[in-house]
Amino acid sequence: MSDQPSVLNNSIIDLENVHLSLGQGAARVHILKGVSVAIERGEAVGLVGPSGSGKSTLLMVMSGLERADSGNVSIVDHDLMALSEDDLARFRGRHVGIVFQSFHLIANMTALENVAVPLELAGVANAFARAEEELKSVGLGDRLSHYPGELSGGEQQRVAIARALVAQPDLLIADEPTGNLDEDTGEDISNLLFKLQKERDMTLLLVTHDLKLAGRCDRAIEIRNGEIRGEDGENTLLNRVVKSASAAE
Amino acid sequence: MSAMDVASSSPSMGLFKSLRLAFTFATREMRAGVRGFMIFLACLSLGVAAIAGVNALSASLVNSISSEGQSILGGDIRFSLIHRETTELEQAYLNKLGPVTVAATMRSMARLPDGSDQALTELKGVDENYPLYGEMKLVNKGDIHDLLKEQDKGTFGGVVELGFLARLNLEVGGLIDLGGIKVKIMDVIENEPDRLAGGVGFGPRLMISNEAIRASGLVQPGSLVRWHYKVKLQDGVSNDDIQAVREAAETEMPKAGWRIRARDNASPGLSRNIQRFAQFLTLVGLTALVVGGVGVANAVTAYLDSKREVIATFKSIGAIGSFVFFVYVIQIMMIATIAVAIGLALGAFIPSIAAYFLQGALPIEIDTKIPARSLALAAVYGYLMALVFALWPLSKARDIPPTALFRDREGTSKLPRLPYLLALVGCVALLFTLAIGLSDNRVIATAFVGGTVAAFALLRVTAIGIMALAKKLPHARSTEWRLAIGNIHRPGSITQSVVLSLGLGLSLLVTIALIDGNLRNQLTSSLADEAPSFFFVDIQNHEIETFEALLEDNTQEATLQRVPMLRGFFVDIAGQKPSEMTVNSESAWALRGDRGITYSATIPENSVLDEGEWWDADHTDGSLVSFDEEVARHFGLEIGDTITVNVLGREIVSTVASTRKVEWQSLGINFVMVFSPNTFAGAPHSHLATLALKDGGSVEKEFELMKTVANAFPTVTTVRVKDALERVADVVGQLAWAIRGASGVTLLSSILVLAGALAAGHRTQIYDAVVLKTLGATRGQLMKAYLLQFTLLGLITAVFGILSGTLASWFVVENIMDGDFTFYPSAAFSAAAIALFLCIALGFAGTWRILGQKAAPLLRNA
Repeated sequence: MSDQPSVLNNSIIDLENVHLSLGQGAARVHILKGVSVAIERGEAVGLVGPSGSGKSTLLMVMSGLERADSGNVSIVDHDLMALSEDDLARFRGRHVGIVFQSFHLIANMTALENVAVPLELAGVANAFARAEEELKSVGLGDRLSHYPGELSGGEQQRVAIARALVAQPDLLIADEPTGNLDEDTGEDISNLLFKLQKERDMTLLLVTHDLKLAGRCDRAIEIRNGEIRGEDGENTLLNRVVKSASAAE
Repeated sequence: MSAMDVASSSPSMGLFKSLRLAFTFATREMRAGVRGFMIFLACLSLGVAAIAGVNALSASLVNSISSEGQSILGGDIRFSLIHRETTELEQAYLNKLGPVTVAATMRSMARLPDGSDQALTELKGVDENYPLYGEMKLVNKGDIHDLLKEQDKGTFGGVVELGFLARLNLEVGGLIDLGGIKVKIMDVIENEPDRLAGGVGFGPRLMISNEAIRASGLVQPGSLVRWHYKVKLQDGVSNDDIQAVREAAETEMPKAGWRIRARDNASPGLSRNIQRFAQFLTLVGLTALVVGGVGVANAVTAYLDSKREVIATFKSIGAIGSFVFFVYVIQIMMIATIAVAIGLALGAFIPSIAAYFLQGALPIEIDTKIPARSLALAAVYGYLMALVFALWPLSKARDIPPTALFRDREGTSKLPRLPYLLALVGCVALLFTLAIGLSDNRVIATAFVGGTVAAFALLRVTAIGIMALAKKLPHARSTEWRLAIGNIHRPGSITQSVVLSLGLGLSLLVTIALIDGNLRNQLTSSLADEAPSFFFVDIQNHEIETFEALLEDNTQEATLQRVPMLRGFFVDIAGQKPSEMTVNSESAWALRGDRGITYSATIPENSVLDEGEWWDADHTDGSLVSFDEEVARHFGLEIGDTITVNVLGREIVSTVASTRKVEWQSLGINFVMVFSPNTFAGAPHSHLATLALKDGGSVEKEFELMKTVANAFPTVTTVRVKDALERVADVVGQLAWAIRGASGVTLLSSILVLAGALAAGHRTQIYDAVVLKTLGATRGQLMKAYLLQFTLLGLITAVFGILSGTLASWFVVENIMDGDFTFYPSAAFSAAAIALFLCIALGFAGTWRILGQKAAPLLRNA
């Protein structure tokens, strides 16, 4: 994997030589080791790798949840390295939608309120009307006033997807979105994700162990031991594996 | 939306809108209710209730005294003279104002006719106009004026308090000797409307007519008798009108030298003492809040810990740190509002409860209206305390990173950001300013606040020290010891909470117990050696020789001390009017009312010259005065300054010649002012004497001597010091109950916080216990380990409590009460034993639950 930046004109994600270590003293671990990656607008990209490879950390850097120690991080034309903590939060609210494996819905808020939160935080006037539309678009029009505890796992993930999409972000990041769901429900959720990505012409970055799911993306990027091992839509070993896994299904 | 620039999105929501949204989010979060906040609610509401209750009761009593001022004072305005009655001119002046009633008050000895017993009594003479206001209630419902008439030649009627009959073993209809007359007890007083205005007495009331007092021979030149002229002004007179009457009387009769008191300030001493005591109890209530604050901090920390994921989620979808802070500070303030409301509701009931219990004890109706100011003060204290203890965890929660969604313990251990630290410091400063600023005695308030902060800081350091020490200890061989020591120092251990909550409560308990013991000791046992056994008041000039001879004949090796005594009051102090002076509260008493004064050719006993020079024995050139050093300092007096005092209606201008250090604790004859003998040459006055029996004397000897003196000198008043001190000890004892009550609230808070901390600790321990049981630990081993842990923590905290409580009580006794500190091991160790018991009992109560925990469900969920 080259350390050279692959700069594309239409890049929505552009990482150059990103390093990140975590922990203190003897427990400090070098997690990202000179990662460079570029993703174009409208692309669906799968980020794959074994546990501990650094894929979740890379996801956090891309969404502004984690600050890199060095390198350049440009997301949706914003230099994330130059933004303060609060500016990063506002940036996420406007430009990035995140879907978590564990849903992370607010237990004391209804489905509608959960989805409206990003709009409310951004000061949008008709937050609830738009949240309702978004919930209908994920098939939960009849679950508006249900609390997360009253919803099934699949329904909770649909609420989380609606919440991630309601502010119409440029970039949707999904971290193992089907990891906590049974196979059928997982299938429904992944179908929904890809459908919405196509409809809205969004960029989708999908972090997953599931090679079949990665195979449904336009391309896949493999990360191992904090370094990018395969990164394009061409004839890499990774993509062959991914495509074959997808075809076998 | 997606095209919006980050920088421009920041001001898109103004502060007000942002706060409104934070409020909306907070209310959504609160839908889960207040589970987990029970200790928070209990601690805060207890503290608020204590402060609200104390202040509401104090305000109610003071309001009652004010609203019933007419009957307490016995008129709209009262003119008092000491030693003498009004002149014809003065009486005519008063008569013009409206109906007047005249009352004489003095202390005197009532004797049984057979001379077998006698009692000190607060004597009061009244006239046919008494009472102008209120109702004089007698048990047998007779007419007071008929009853007080002369019944036979030389025998007058009298009514008494029940205690009088009990003291002399008399019944209604019984006879007593009083001075040179006989008094027949006609009835028992149920309610004397103007009793409160007279202050606390040293004996039960005996009420007779003024004719009887005049006939008794008790009123002699220089006798300590006060004549009160109470005037009923026209109906509907306002307080301003009364003030105008007062000013006119001062201007038109400047030489009268009467002390004037109006109905709106009928019992200033009582009101002042109630307010001062309430301020002290407020400080004790604040300790309850501080102790409860630990519970608040624990509850907020635990709550925010449970909200880490929610906070991280908020942040991951666009919430900024300050918004998160507002969402949670609003929630905490909502819970604080519930706690404050509960506290205020409880506190507001206290005046009504007190009114029920004090019925009959006080001759006034207690105003049970809810005093808004007292409740507001308690609410402010409650909110401030909640903020002080919640701001730290709240400001740290503000910095929980969104990555906490992925990693369990994302580091948020750094200090809160500067603005939050400043806000915290501001709240603490405001709290201290309020506590000290609202106190009458700022030295005590400052010491109290300082002591609390020091105890808090020391306990924290102690807890950290215990944890560090436990960590450094070599590995114990015994598994149970290893587990116990490990539990003390590991991350998330309950050591800090337990040491803080228990330590603060225990420190206060030991402090109160030791101060109580020292106070009682000072009032009783320490008297034996040097204190006099008796005070003899109103010894006339012509009686001195025979009086001294009688004492000499009836005592052996007793020490008799005698000085001339007059009463006088300040008119001017170095060019300032006393009413316009603000002096240190420790000397304010010297400005109020009239003072005993004396003259002497030599420096009195129990005092040493501090500054200036003592006058020659034959000094004749102008009046000189020597002042108590502390009072002079607080009055701002220098050597050479002049003061004016009114004595026997005469204004005497004196030059301050010296100051003395007076040993007030000696209980000997001590005066703030001692004049040069030429000042009162020829003035009528009586004498005051003390008698110290050898080795304190025996009770039999004392009673024998009292009987002898009372029979031989019926107009001399004998005050047995032990009786007087018992009376004071009774009052102190009653006050001590109030202090214990307020301290009880602190202890209860302490127990609640301790229970909360232990319960929080149990959640972690349950998991550990299950894992250990899975690995083969027996119930016995676990129980022993927990018992060791709680015993160690309880013991260390008890040692701290004894040390800090002893230090605090030493400071109070030595520096504030000016006494000699004595350590009472029983008081201190009983308090410590309570702490140890609580720690082990509460710790063990939870341990039973832990040991009974089934392993499977927990391991499945873990």
